[in-house]
Amino acid sequence: MPASGCDAKAVFGLPEALDARVTHYCPGCTHGVIHRLVAEVLDELGLRKSAVGMAPVGCAVLAYDYFACDMVQCSHGRAPAVATGIKRGRPDLTVFTYQGDGDLASIGMAEIIHAANRGEKITVVFVNNAIYGMTAGQMAPTTLPRQVTTTTPDGRDPDLCGHPIRVAELVSALRTPAFVARGAVHVPGEIVRTKDLLRRAFRHQSEKTCFSLIEILSTCPTNWGLPPDEALRWVQQNMVPYYPLGVFKEPGGIDRAPKPL
Amino acid sequence: MFEDRVTVLVGHFGSGKTEVAVNGAIRLAEGGARVALADLDLVKPYFRSRAGRELLAAAGVDLVAPEGDDAGDLPIVLPRVRTLCADPEVRVVIDAGGDDTGARALGSLSDLLGRLGVGFDLVLNFRRPFTPDVDSAVAMAREIEAAARLRVTGVVSNTHLMGQTTPAIVLEGCALARETAGRLGVPLAAAVVEERMRDAVDEAALGCPVFPVRRLVQPPFDQEGYRVPRSGPLFRVL
Amino acid sequence: MAKKLMKGCEAIGEAAIRAGCKLFFGYPITPQNEIPEYMSHRLPQVGGAFVQAESELAASNMIYGAAACGERVFTSSSSPGISLMQEAMSYIAASELPVVVVNIMRSGPGLGGILPTQSDYAQATKGGGHGDYRVLSLAPWSVQEAADLVADAFDLADFYRTPVYVLGDGLIGQMMEPVEFPEDRKPLRPLPPKTWATTGWRGDRPRAVVNSLFLDPIKCEQQNAKLQARYAQMRAEEVRSAYYGDEGDLDVLVVAYGTVARVTLTAMEDMKATGLKVGMLRPITVWPFPRDALAEAAERAKAILVAELSCGQMLEDVWLSTASMRPVHFLGHQGGVLLAPEEVSAAIRDVAAGRSAEVRYAG
Repeated sequence: MPASGCDAKAVFGLPEALDARVTHYCPGCTHGVIHRLVAEVLDELGLRKSAVGMAPVGCAVLAYDYFACDMVQCSHGRAPAVATGIKRGRPDLTVFTYQGDGDLASIGMAEIIHAANRGEKITVVFVNNAIYGMTAGQMAPTTLPRQVTTTTPDGRDPDLCGHPIRVAELVSALRTPAFVARGAVHVPGEIVRTKDLLRRAFRHQSEKTCFSLIEILSTCPTNWGLPPDEALRWVQQNMVPYYPLGVFKEPGGIDRAPKPL
Repeated sequence: MFEDRVTVLVGHFGSGKTEVAVNGAIRLAEGGARVALADLDLVKPYFRSRAGRELLAAAGVDLVAPEGDDAGDLPIVLPRVRTLCADPEVRVVIDAGGDDTGARALGSLSDLLGRLGVGFDLVLNFRRPFTPDVDSAVAMAREIEAAARLRVTGVVSNTHLMGQTTPAIVLEGCALARETAGRLGVPLAAAVVEERMRDAVDEAALGCPVFPVRRLVQPPFDQEGYRVPRSGPLFRVL
Repeated sequence: MAKKLMKGCEAIGEAAIRAGCKLFFGYPITPQNEIPEYMSHRLPQVGGAFVQAESELAASNMIYGAAACGERVFTSSSSPGISLMQEAMSYIAASELPVVVVNIMRSGPGLGGILPTQSDYAQATKGGGHGDYRVLSLAPWSVQEAADLVADAFDLADFYRTPVYVLGDGLIGQMMEPVEFPEDRKPLRPLPPKTWATTGWRGDRPRAVVNSLFLDPIKCEQQNAKLQARYAQMRAEEVRSAYYGDEGDLDVLVVAYGTVARVTLTAMEDMKATGLKVGMLRPITVWPFPRDALAEAAERAKAILVAELSCGQMLEDVWLSTASMRPVHFLGHQGGVLLAPEEVSAAIRDVAAGRSAEVRYAG
């Protein structure tokens, strides 16, 4: 708060779309940053009062306590199906899912692919930190080759577990128009770019253009066993080379889907 | 109706194709003909001719449908359908599936059926929700013709409400069927009347031949002498 | 509207539309495909939305979402598909959302076959998914009653904020009967506005959060108690059954529901000349089970015959409701084989003549 009699004005505060409470996220986890970006975009686009968010099963399950909008907690992986039910019933609402890598890319793969393929006018915020956090460190579908987890004690062996799934590339291969991009939040420049991606995603929804999915590379210092600053560097050194950042598909723009015959 | 050597029955789901087909095949067999009934309903597996296997066998009708413990439900057209249709010694009744969806399998036989010049009868029940009026019946006929690649040659009036049918309902449906036939440019081939109410229906008012039937497709609680059949739960066993 | 000749599945679809349902999410499975097909044809005519989901799992979660934002919604499936929906059913029950689910039962276990059975009774009456919950389950015996109960199911779901099942065997779904829809139907109960629905938070009510996560055991126990209180109210106010037959002392009381009750009624008419005193209690709600009506009728009977298309699922509720006060006999078929009226009348005669063995709870 500015001191009495001072003409300074607030230039930074809590977004209206975030509740004023302390989150449960571990030190150095970037879920909080991503929550904030989503909330800022909802505020700036004037969508907060029409927003309904889907909370996943995973570390972000308590997102329903943090976003200051109506929320639905979904069973594991099914958020895109639940979002479909809401959007088809109430096309006027701004419907978004917030999902982790186990939720979206493992148990919920069918739901996300088919929601994208139907072109549901929803926005999917996909947080990829290459590990299961809520259940304490098991392999995720996005765990990197040789990455040690509690279920890959000798490191992920692609011969046994396959290679990590690149979700943004996979979804952008569908013919149905969509806005699909990957961002990151480990350095300020990427945070700014990721916020722009989220803004474009929600705008595509409010203009009823298409389905949108923003994959965001995130950290898990606790289960990676790294101090927060090292975890941010781990994203740059290990994740970004495998998960390239940028836009993969946008109506009227880039499109990686196979061309029609 | 059933004047052509080969008669194909088409219509909307639940319009009464199977009831007419089974009654007709049995009547032809009673008249001494060699009769084959081909069940071509590949789309709705509950009410179709093959569920009357015992009934047809007892009447001496050759049922042409997949057989065997697990093959009985396969959605396939048996090669024997073509053989029988081509055999000048055999009277053939073809019970198609409902709607243009069910008539599509006829398209695969349309080369032979078109050459033979078969009876292609549209069975109509105006108390079914999909054909409440003449416009919808004509539209459905056109869709079936497109899928089957064959032209409708006659209309069969089969408007009824099962046990709640009254003579007025039969007459009301017959008038709509006649109008439909006129729009399609084909004759009203027959009006289906249950045997139990033949006396109550003014046949002169129908203005077309009566095709009397016994209701054979019935759930067990509406049947007399029902016993548990192997081939399906929904047919009266004579 | 003039009476129509409709399949059970078509009548169910039409009844849902007339109940104001504008949303359907489902996945194909025999013998209920006529429901999604009917809805895909009719919903666009009334400004609704139909989605063929990628699985029953997805379909059940789509109805979870649609119910969360306050819309009337239903899905339908058949036994294996209903099993796949149990995850969402548990969430929907726990989150107190109103949905209607139609199960046109086919034979099982496993992939089973496509013909009629009643072998999902236990799933429909004991909860079905994980956790302590029940669903109100209505069992029609005719196409007309299927249509009427679907209309009631939407009201009951909204009033109690619970999943309501309409439990029909394959025969109910597939057979055709005359049906009519009342033009001036009133809701069963006054239905309060859905202030809990996630329709966007404008600050004029508390924030709507649809949730079933309660990590604090005390809160989770409180939520269970809240649900149980609602189930107690359903047990007190929503039990439905019908009684047919002699009003005095009975040689045999038959307990049957759905199409088996139709078969039994035919059997009872066929055997009037025998002079045997026979009655039938037909549960219309299989949960809550009509235990008081059954106990009252059992008081008058020398013996009870349970007839159902399963290996003996409702049988257990009959034992529990009558507490061994009368000997209980059983007649059933499985696998899609139907009961014939002659079989039922023969079984009634055998029970009355002491030629049938009593069946006891075997655990």
